[in-house]
Amino acid sequence: MLEIVLTREDANTEYALLAEWLVEDRSEVSAGQPVCVVETTKATVEVEAPGAGTIVQLYGEDVEVELGKTIAYVAENADELAAIDTEAAEKPAPKPAGDRKATRKAVELAELHGVDLEQIDKRGFITEKDVEQLIAARKASASPAAGSVLAGVSTDGVSLPATFGVDESDGALDRAFLESLDPEVFRQLAPGEKLTALREAGARIGEGVDLGEGSLIVAPRVVIEEGVKLGPRATVVAEEVVAIGALSQFGSDLELRCRRAFLGAGIWGGRSVRFGGGGHRDPWATLVVGDLAFVGDEVFVNVCRPVLVGREVFLTMRSLIVTHNIGHSILEGFENRFAPVVLEDRSQVGLGAVLYAGARVGAESIVASNSYVVGEIPAGSFAIGVPAKATGSSSHKLSEARQRDLARRFVDDLHELLALRGHVVSAVADDGFEVEGTRISFTPSYRGGTDGPAVVLALDVRGDVPGGVAVIDLLGRRVHGSGGVVLDSVREFCRKRGIKLEPGPWSYPGGLI
Amino acid sequence: MSSVSSGKRGVQVLNEALHGIFRERDDVVLFGEDVLDPYGGAFKVTAGLSDAYPDRVLTTPISEASLFGVAAGMALRGQRPILEIMFGDFVALGLDQIVNGISKFREMYDEQVTVPLVVRAPMGARRGYGPTHSQSLEKLLLGIPNIVVVAASECHDVGALLTAAVDDERPVFFVENKLLYGRTIRRPEDGHVGELAVRESDGPYPALTFSATDFTEGSATVVTYGGMLPIVLDAVTELVLEHEVFCEVVALSQLVPMELGAVLDSVARTGALVTAEEGTLTGGFGAEIAARVQEAAWSDLRAPVRRIAARDGIIPSARPLEDEMLPSVEDVVETVMSLEGSG
Repeated sequence: MLEIVLTREDANTEYALLAEWLVEDRSEVSAGQPVCVVETTKATVEVEAPGAGTIVQLYGEDVEVELGKTIAYVAENADELAAIDTEAAEKPAPKPAGDRKATRKAVELAELHGVDLEQIDKRGFITEKDVEQLIAARKASASPAAGSVLAGVSTDGVSLPATFGVDESDGALDRAFLESLDPEVFRQLAPGEKLTALREAGARIGEGVDLGEGSLIVAPRVVIEEGVKLGPRATVVAEEVVAIGALSQFGSDLELRCRRAFLGAGIWGGRSVRFGGGGHRDPWATLVVGDLAFVGDEVFVNVCRPVLVGREVFLTMRSLIVTHNIGHSILEGFENRFAPVVLEDRSQVGLGAVLYAGARVGAESIVASNSYVVGEIPAGSFAIGVPAKATGSSSHKLSEARQRDLARRFVDDLHELLALRGHVVSAVADDGFEVEGTRISFTPSYRGGTDGPAVVLALDVRGDVPGGVAVIDLLGRRVHGSGGVVLDSVREFCRKRGIKLEPGPWSYPGGLI
Repeated sequence: MSSVSSGKRGVQVLNEALHGIFRERDDVVLFGEDVLDPYGGAFKVTAGLSDAYPDRVLTTPISEASLFGVAAGMALRGQRPILEIMFGDFVALGLDQIVNGISKFREMYDEQVTVPLVVRAPMGARRGYGPTHSQSLEKLLLGIPNIVVVAASECHDVGALLTAAVDDERPVFFVENKLLYGRTIRRPEDGHVGELAVRESDGPYPALTFSATDFTEGSATVVTYGGMLPIVLDAVTELVLEHEVFCEVVALSQLVPMELGAVLDSVARTGALVTAEEGTLTGGFGAEIAARVQEAAWSDLRAPVRRIAARDGIIPSARPLEDEMLPSVEDVVETVMSLEGSG
């Protein structure tokens, strides 16, 4: 690809007039052919094509162009022409210059108090005083209503779990019970005895809850939905409320200490996960973890300011979130920062990465392992480094043909896995095979008409699903119909490929894989 | 406050103003070196003018001393000459005509004649033009009685200033900073330029006063003109964003006769004054203002007046050396910060 650059003809001016194009945009030009007339301050000159190809003009006629700018490309073949078009389509709109109007002190104070600077409607600069006034106004009108527990942290891009909306009195424990509770004695009770005691004192605890040996839950309000499992030696202590959604589970040695904990449904947590640390009794110490989040082994989340973890977020093992630092005296100019941390929906944090106070990771972004995040990572980006910087996109768009190829391969992969597991499987034919009397198959577009028992993988589901048939809509991420152990196994296979299916929450009850 | 010129570059605004002046007045004549089309002057300010008015735009030999004499003669005979000096540095060649003729005739002949000429001169550095094409020599003119020195900035109505200069009965030196040509004019809109509130004084050559707090508080006033204004505004913005130090800025367009009403008003609010100019330090714009302000507003000042200017020396051609010589955003920030806590 060749470029036509407006060169400097004299020293006095920064601009030249692109007076006239002598050839049509996207016409064929030959080397040395005059393509446009440029009036510089010293002369009117004809600019020649540097080589043969298709010219792509970047400016119109009679416009002033800064010297040194490229005014046209000459594409030497079709690939180059396509590349020019792709680049033009992807180029982001230029950011307006000088859009910063809040002072450093104002930004720091706003972060400290979780104030959104957008709330300040003012001509001119936004100063520390403006933020102080807003904070004072907020305090004056403060009420303990739900929502204020987030201290003004924006929930944009974060799907709050249903447990976040638990009623003010829901699960409230008898005051006398709380006062008489000796944690050390309570810890020694058998798991079933603990649950019974909590239920009798007013906690709302669903069926199938499994509280590991030597575990402790202490909070004035306790709401635990069906099927929650906490491993041995869990410690859950909150000053105000603990709410955990259905089918969420943590491995051994969970430690959760904060003012308020709202955990969603279907969360999978590993061993030695720790929420809390210094400042966990602060009035702003609110923890929200969205539905279907993944919290790896030995993850540590310091909660003294709100920490919002969105739906389907991955916090990979040993990743670290801090909402404040400990330093020397702020009066001597050392940093002493307290700020919330937000992970928007479907974002992912790699092994050992650190999110520093004030970090916000945009929806579907990926933070690479061992990165250090300060400030904001835009949605949909891949960020890496210390400090982490967005270097590209977190995903790329697949063609329908590519999606079909990948999904069709699921059948072969699943077939191989089941065979290796020792199950009797039929040979693969017509994009499907049989196991345990159930046919597993792939079709790009499901239009009905399948006989059961069957599990059908599809990219698009329109037809009726008869009894004995389950259809998995891979792109819509939903299961239609019902099935037994084979469906559960296929569903687990999909989950391991990042495809989480509705209706949920769901946990693998065990099956063929 | 009009904003019709906002968004255009300085050279465009000046060029359009010249076309307007030629349309309105047929006694106006422009001459100078290489001003004819298609070249249109070294900085293109006169583009299209000789094509439109071939009899009233004259190109001249390189002989500035004689050009000043010719302009003086035309003005005495009732014409309105506009003399373009290709680089302001060459004004020095015409100083005898200016000092012993142009500035003196009106008073010397007891008001029987006037010398209504305009000398347009690009001044200023930051382009790597070297020692003799980069100077800001306004101070050579500041001490000459009975002339007017006008300097346009990118926040002024540049076209109106030039039109007023042509209409003026006095000899006017119209200083155009070279960077102004390429910069976008930013006229106040809604009483603001960016986040800064702006007030504009009356008269043909108004002063602009900028405030970071809508004139409610300020810890220093920075007075400047012309091509230093964008540098001072950048510094003032940095002072607000990084340090929450709020300044006022006064941008004069009339350098002499020196009228400091806007400066004194501002100093009464802020209690401290910094002067900023691109010319060399000694015997300059800042020195004259410092002397006048301490005399008129001693009780308002809580600290000595500080001056920011180019080092007393020549302007090197190499850009890094040139930058070192000239006043910068950091110089303004540091000087204002040094006033913090004083008094």
